[in-house]
Amino acid sequence: MRRLKDLKKVYDWVEMRVGFEKPVKEAALHPVPKNTASWWYVFGSAAFTLLMLQVFTGILLALVYVPSAGQAWQSLNFLNHNLTLGWYIRAVHGWGSNFMVAVVLIHMCQVFLFGAYKYPRELTWMVGVILLLLTLGMAFTGQVLRFDQDAYWGLGIGAMITSRVPIIGGQLVHLLLGGPIIGGATLSRFFVMHVFIIPALLLGLAGLHVWMVLKLGINEWPMPGRAVRRETYLEEYHKLTHEDGVPFVPVALWKDIVFSSGVILAVLVCAAIFGPQGPGGIANPTYIHTEPKPDFFFLWIYTSLAFLPPWMETPLLIIGPPIIILALLGLPLVASEGEKSWHRRPVALLTVMLLAVGWGALTDLGTYTPWSPHMNAWSSDTLKPEQVKALSPLERQGAIVFQDKQCRNCHEIDGHGGMRGPALDDVATTMTYSQLIRQVLQGGGNMPAYGKNLSPPEVDAVVAFLETLHKPGQKPAVNESNQWVKQFESKNTAPVPFQAAPPVGNGGNPAPENAAGTAPTSGSPPAPKKPTSVAMSMAPAK
Amino acid sequence: MRIPPLVAVTCALAVCMLTGCKSLPGYPKHEWQPPQDQMNFHALYKQNCAACHGETGQGGMAIPLANPEFQALVDDQTLQQIISGGMPGTMMTAFAEKDGGTLTDPQVNAIIAGMRKEWAKPNAFGGMTPPAYEQPATGGDAEKGRQDYITYCVSCHEGPHDSITNSSFLALISNQALRTIIIAGRPDLGQPDWRNDKPGHPLTDQEVTDIVTYLGSLRVASPGQPYPSHP
Repeated sequence: MRRLKDLKKVYDWVEMRVGFEKPVKEAALHPVPKNTASWWYVFGSAAFTLLMLQVFTGILLALVYVPSAGQAWQSLNFLNHNLTLGWYIRAVHGWGSNFMVAVVLIHMCQVFLFGAYKYPRELTWMVGVILLLLTLGMAFTGQVLRFDQDAYWGLGIGAMITSRVPIIGGQLVHLLLGGPIIGGATLSRFFVMHVFIIPALLLGLAGLHVWMVLKLGINEWPMPGRAVRRETYLEEYHKLTHEDGVPFVPVALWKDIVFSSGVILAVLVCAAIFGPQGPGGIANPTYIHTEPKPDFFFLWIYTSLAFLPPWMETPLLIIGPPIIILALLGLPLVASEGEKSWHRRPVALLTVMLLAVGWGALTDLGTYTPWSPHMNAWSSDTLKPEQVKALSPLERQGAIVFQDKQCRNCHEIDGHGGMRGPALDDVATTMTYSQLIRQVLQGGGNMPAYGKNLSPPEVDAVVAFLETLHKPGQKPAVNESNQWVKQFESKNTAPVPFQAAPPVGNGGNPAPENAAGTAPTSGSPPAPKKPTSVAMSMAPAK
Repeated sequence: MRIPPLVAVTCALAVCMLTGCKSLPGYPKHEWQPPQDQMNFHALYKQNCAACHGETGQGGMAIPLANPEFQALVDDQTLQQIISGGMPGTMMTAFAEKDGGTLTDPQVNAIIAGMRKEWAKPNAFGGMTPPAYEQPATGGDAEKGRQDYITYCVSCHEGPHDSITNSSFLALISNQALRTIIIAGRPDLGQPDWRNDKPGHPLTDQEVTDIVTYLGSLRVASPGQPYPSHP
């Protein structure tokens, strides 16, 4: 008891001088509309909690990280492998960043759909937009600090986008990279941005954001028909909170606490299961076996850039972002009054859905890279042993041609290989023997012609192999007209009428077209040829 | 006392982290290293060999390396030559940097050492002496080879599906590769070695040479023409 009394004395001594009790109590107990104590109102506090987690883990990482081009990569590997739980702190920071971007975006969608940006909370929204940009800025600068190949190429792309700004592009790149090229100064610059400038702005503006939420009150649950009017809103809100309100603590706060704890737990679990991101290969442009990719929140930009026709790149990159940012900032000024409920705002609802679907689709496309070959597929991606066993000797040679000529780098089989071209799992059912030969020799549809790179036996073998690529119950495609031609040639008469067509009784064998290179069908092997220089050579003609 | 699930999970996670953090699934396994510094056999094999020789050294399209008989038949120097410079007359390409590949000499040696360690076994031939590895350039008799082919090979290679007398097939495989397969067999596909093509009658060195000579004699001047009547 005495101890408690002593503590109380210390508390009173401090409280008398700082005077926190009254404002904190007011903030905690201020009434909020009853129906805002909802699970829909927990994302803002979760974002703030994640920010605190990022600050905490970021400080721990900064104790070890060396922001120099020569040592950054090594220091991350040191964290990963030589410090107890160093890898876990990295993983928590990395996953905290992923979750923070996601939660901030969800928070923004919720606020938009609930009309919470309308009078008098316009500035809260605008500060929120800047907070989103700062969060993305943190994500990008953080990715650069890994200083691996992803970071290097991500920076390169960032610099190239910047360089397209008219007139001052060059100066901007210089400012961004600390020189004309990516080097030591670049990393120092990004370290300063990631550790000092952006966090300071983020914390300051997040404080302002929360302050405004407290001052203006939490947005009430939007009801269809209850439109916002400047003249009457404040009075209506005051009435709502005082007549049908509940104290923020504990009625609304417990949901925030539970959700934030859940999010933190999710970060911890993801970190333990999926581990830290990178560092991948050391930043060195001479390593060509690399597929640099941005972290997931920038994948949509990566995909867009890959799909945009070249002439559209500069206008979209230079004009697009400012328009989006201005639209977001200007939104509450344009639509500060009126309906809040999404039931009465179909355009708003459709906009969010369109953006979400577009973002999701572009991100999903970005997780695989149909536009770049897998450079190692030819020598490392295998076929299933049972598939190999079912092949004939010629087809097996064809499968080797397929690997050796690097077809696999662009074409998937059984989920392995490149995705530049179509997967070939059932190519035999979509193309006939002759069509396959033509495609291999002449290319077409983005595929180069391989006629000059393959010898006739190689083409024969690889097409024999391709002919085996179909699902178990399916037959390879055949050219029906060949039956007629054959019949015509054998009888040397006019083609028989269509209705008298003989049944296709070849069991799916492409033999009608495959006129050459076929094996003897009888059990008797062919007699040897007279030994000639060609026939006896150790190395057959290729 | 009842422990709330959240507390229980958190405690379990904390204990897990502090005691066995390196066994958690998220623990970063390998530090990235420049490709030329990679000396791990499994990584090198997967990266360079697995596609044709099979994920586990067998079950691929090309000859299985995880065959003790193959390992016993081919010496280090030959393997070194084949991996570095490729195998003429086959699709085995050169992997050494000096020949346009990506592997350094120590990496080639690491692959050979790894294969020996993983797949070589003592007394692979069961006390018998196999035919010589190398196919002689001369000295084979194609007609005798044809007879031997009928005796030893035709029972399996009779039908069109199993044919090895196809001109395209023969154009893509060298006599030496044929000989290696005849001697070491392809256990992954069920093809016996030289001792068991006809049980109780192992092929002699001369018979192997003759069969290969016969198969070589079937090669044609312009193989693999799909439309021979329309040149």
